[in-house]
Amino acid sequence: MKKLWLPGTIVGLIILVAILAPLLGLMDPVRQDIANRLAGPMNGSPLGRDEFGRDVFSRLIWGARTSLGVAFASALIAGVIGTAFGLIGGWFRGWGEIFTVRSMDIILCFPPVLLALLVVTLMGPGAGTLILVLSVLYLPGFARVTYAEVLSARSLDYVEAVRALGAPTWRILFRTVLPNVAGPVLVQLSLAVASAVVLESGLSFLGLGVVPPSPSWGLMIRGARATMEQAPMLLLWPCAALTLTILAMNLLCDGLRDAVDPRTPATRRRIRVVDRLLPGLLPAAAPQTEAVLDVRNLTVEIATPRGAIRPVQGVSLQVFAGETLAVVGESGSGKSVTATTVMGLMPPIAQAVEGQAWLGGRDLLRLTEPELRALRGGPMAMVFQDPMSSLNPVHTVGAQVVEAIQAHQKISSSDAWKQAEQLFKRVGIADPQKRLRVYPHEMSGGMRQRVMIAMAIANRPKLLICDEPTTALDVTVQAQILDLLNALKRETGMGMIFITHSLGVVSEIADRVAVMYAGQVVEQGSVAEVFGNPLHPYTRALLEAVPEGDEPPVGIPGIVPQPHAFPVGCRFAPRCRFATPACEAAPLPLEEIRAGREVRCIRWHELTPTEAAA
Amino acid sequence: MWWLLRRIGVSLALAWIVATIVFMTLHMVPGDPAEILLSTGGVAPDPAAVAELRERLGLEQPLLTQYGQFLLGLTRGDLGTSLVDEYPVLDEIALRLPRTLELIFAGTILAVIVAIPAGTWAALHRGGVFDRIASGTAAFLLAVPVFVVGTVLVLVFAQMLRIMPAGGYVPFAQNPGQHMTLLAMPAVAIAKGLAAVVFRMTRASVLDALSRDYVRTARAKGISPTRVLVRHVVRNALTPVLTVLGLHMGTLLGGTVLVEYVFNWPGMSTPLLRAVEARDYPMVVGIVLTISGLFLLINLIMDLLYAALDPRIRTA
Repeated sequence: MKKLWLPGTIVGLIILVAILAPLLGLMDPVRQDIANRLAGPMNGSPLGRDEFGRDVFSRLIWGARTSLGVAFASALIAGVIGTAFGLIGGWFRGWGEIFTVRSMDIILCFPPVLLALLVVTLMGPGAGTLILVLSVLYLPGFARVTYAEVLSARSLDYVEAVRALGAPTWRILFRTVLPNVAGPVLVQLSLAVASAVVLESGLSFLGLGVVPPSPSWGLMIRGARATMEQAPMLLLWPCAALTLTILAMNLLCDGLRDAVDPRTPATRRRIRVVDRLLPGLLPAAAPQTEAVLDVRNLTVEIATPRGAIRPVQGVSLQVFAGETLAVVGESGSGKSVTATTVMGLMPPIAQAVEGQAWLGGRDLLRLTEPELRALRGGPMAMVFQDPMSSLNPVHTVGAQVVEAIQAHQKISSSDAWKQAEQLFKRVGIADPQKRLRVYPHEMSGGMRQRVMIAMAIANRPKLLICDEPTTALDVTVQAQILDLLNALKRETGMGMIFITHSLGVVSEIADRVAVMYAGQVVEQGSVAEVFGNPLHPYTRALLEAVPEGDEPPVGIPGIVPQPHAFPVGCRFAPRCRFATPACEAAPLPLEEIRAGREVRCIRWHELTPTEAAA
Repeated sequence: MWWLLRRIGVSLALAWIVATIVFMTLHMVPGDPAEILLSTGGVAPDPAAVAELRERLGLEQPLLTQYGQFLLGLTRGDLGTSLVDEYPVLDEIALRLPRTLELIFAGTILAVIVAIPAGTWAALHRGGVFDRIASGTAAFLLAVPVFVVGTVLVLVFAQMLRIMPAGGYVPFAQNPGQHMTLLAMPAVAIAKGLAAVVFRMTRASVLDALSRDYVRTARAKGISPTRVLVRHVVRNALTPVLTVLGLHMGTLLGGTVLVEYVFNWPGMSTPLLRAVEARDYPMVVGIVLTISGLFLLINLIMDLLYAALDPRIRTA
């Protein structure tokens, strides 16, 4: 709303002055006074006189009246007729649509100034002609905007309901559709007015708009051109008035559009110099670890307009060579943020504020971007969820795989293409030579994901992170992709992190599993242990939510809390049927009950007595 | 291939509709067209002159015959002769169209060269000093009418600083240096609005591309930032920019009329304005049809470029 104030006030003032022009006691804007031709500022004429000795100030203000009069008249006419056309076209479709909306598109085939000149030829110059031409020119805009809104309103449930009840068409249009259309039409109206002012002044400047001696900014500039040498100010005043008016109107349009179509502007965190120099993390000694990836106590902070949030807090994960670690949890549990942070692919607003992530003796969180780049696509690679949007639509899939190969291997293009062909064969793409040369949209979802996998394994990574790679695929294709990933892992001995929300997938592919909830790991262990004997109530609830046999699945009540509203104590407590006041009192630690088996619940002894005894 | 043929077919159909509308404007105006064209300031025209004009415009014949002859003439490139000096309209256009095209071409090149890098840079450093200055400049340039820019350019560079000629035209073959000097200011005036539009679109479009999954994939491959920017961000951001370029060609073609007038550039606008003032109907129709045709052609070329840039269109 802040953006509307200044331009709104300026436009308001200009309109007010234009309306009040006759009451301001100005000099007659058309009275000539040859004796004072081109006179400078004088008594009663603060801006001097023009080439006919007319008062410039008075002409400026009366000129605003002419310009705005023409602009508003034409915008209003176009608005009323165009909106009506859009309503009819959108509601009745069929022939109504062709006559009212599609036919308008023809107007757009003419450059606006030319259409105006054609009409001026026939009707002669003058304000009336201008209004006619301008309203015709802006018809399509209004018709289109209204049409689009009506189409979307028609499918709204309550409109359908009113229609089903047999309400008359006109009443539906006026009661339910018009209010929806009002916003966009208002924006369109302000656009039309601004653009009409430009066209009016342009045509008047050419001598084909407003007829002299009526005052108009365009005419004033036209007249002042001849005397530019003696009186340059004469030229600048109307230019400034015109530019200021249009600028204010344009800004008002932008503001209105933002108000009507609110899309929260993305904020970008300014990285403080301190953070840049000392990224909040003191270097730690490299651990003695056999793990391919060893994430320790990772906390990610994201700056948001509502303050900093920590979607990932204190997460520790390890992946060993030749094994698959599944990370499961509902949406918003922080699985993807963890993986993306490890890859160094988070936007700058997100920062790892605590922890380490060791890959081959180097802490990924403390590497510079060029160092990370050398690792990404090389020792560590990632396969993303939606292969359609993850592949660039304008390059062939082969080119995209070759790009990945050449980013890390200094080999010729023909060798790289040969490698790509081998990779395609390896990931099970039939007829690889031909398939290398097709675009992503020409492939099926499963094939695209195979391309993504080929790209990821191109440089024989030690670590492969798969972020829900099968979620966007058909069930049958899912199974094939899982088989492929399993086979690749066995062959290459790479460590794999497999992020998913599907427990079925976990049991098929993973050796170990980490269950995440609200940014924390709540349970970790081998798949057999965790699934066979879940310790955390959340894991239990997840398992109960899987449909199995004839028993109906049990949903988990409530939703994952938002990162800015994480509970103080156990984050699952509000949804947990075993919660006690003690659970919500203080943050809970992740308890290691034996090697490789961890749980974050203070009541696990009571809830799973067998495990506690063991 | 079918796509291409269909697209050309649509353009031809639109050209036919445009021609029909232009033809009809004369006949849709209430009253006798010949009388309307000859009347000035409410004075009834000389009946003999009206009769003669009716004869020359073929208004005596049935409307459909006139329409048929009009279309037939168009297919043969016959646009009639001027009512003022009987000069063939086509010859006049053939003489002047290249000069207008040169102006548009120069303005577009200038706008694209400045605006696409500026828009990309502004998007990459969103909220920074350059972004704010450039976005402010673009908003200002969009607000200044093209003839105001032209007039002020003349005032500043020709009148006050005296470093540029106020306007005029010298054929390239005659004096290349002078030709380019004279081209500079009109080209800048043409470029100003387009540059502002292209800047805004490039900025928005690059920002959009930056947030796409395939850019993340490209980064995940570990390729250099320059390569990510060129091959995956800018390359993909160009398609919407092209669309906007095409859409604004109409405004640009209209803008040339004003710019040519301000700088005395002897393109299409001189005969057009003279013809509008003298109500030289065949000349106006000829020029309007030519420019509208040009507009359709430019849009067709833009669509073809679009298809070249975005493989999804070709198979759609």
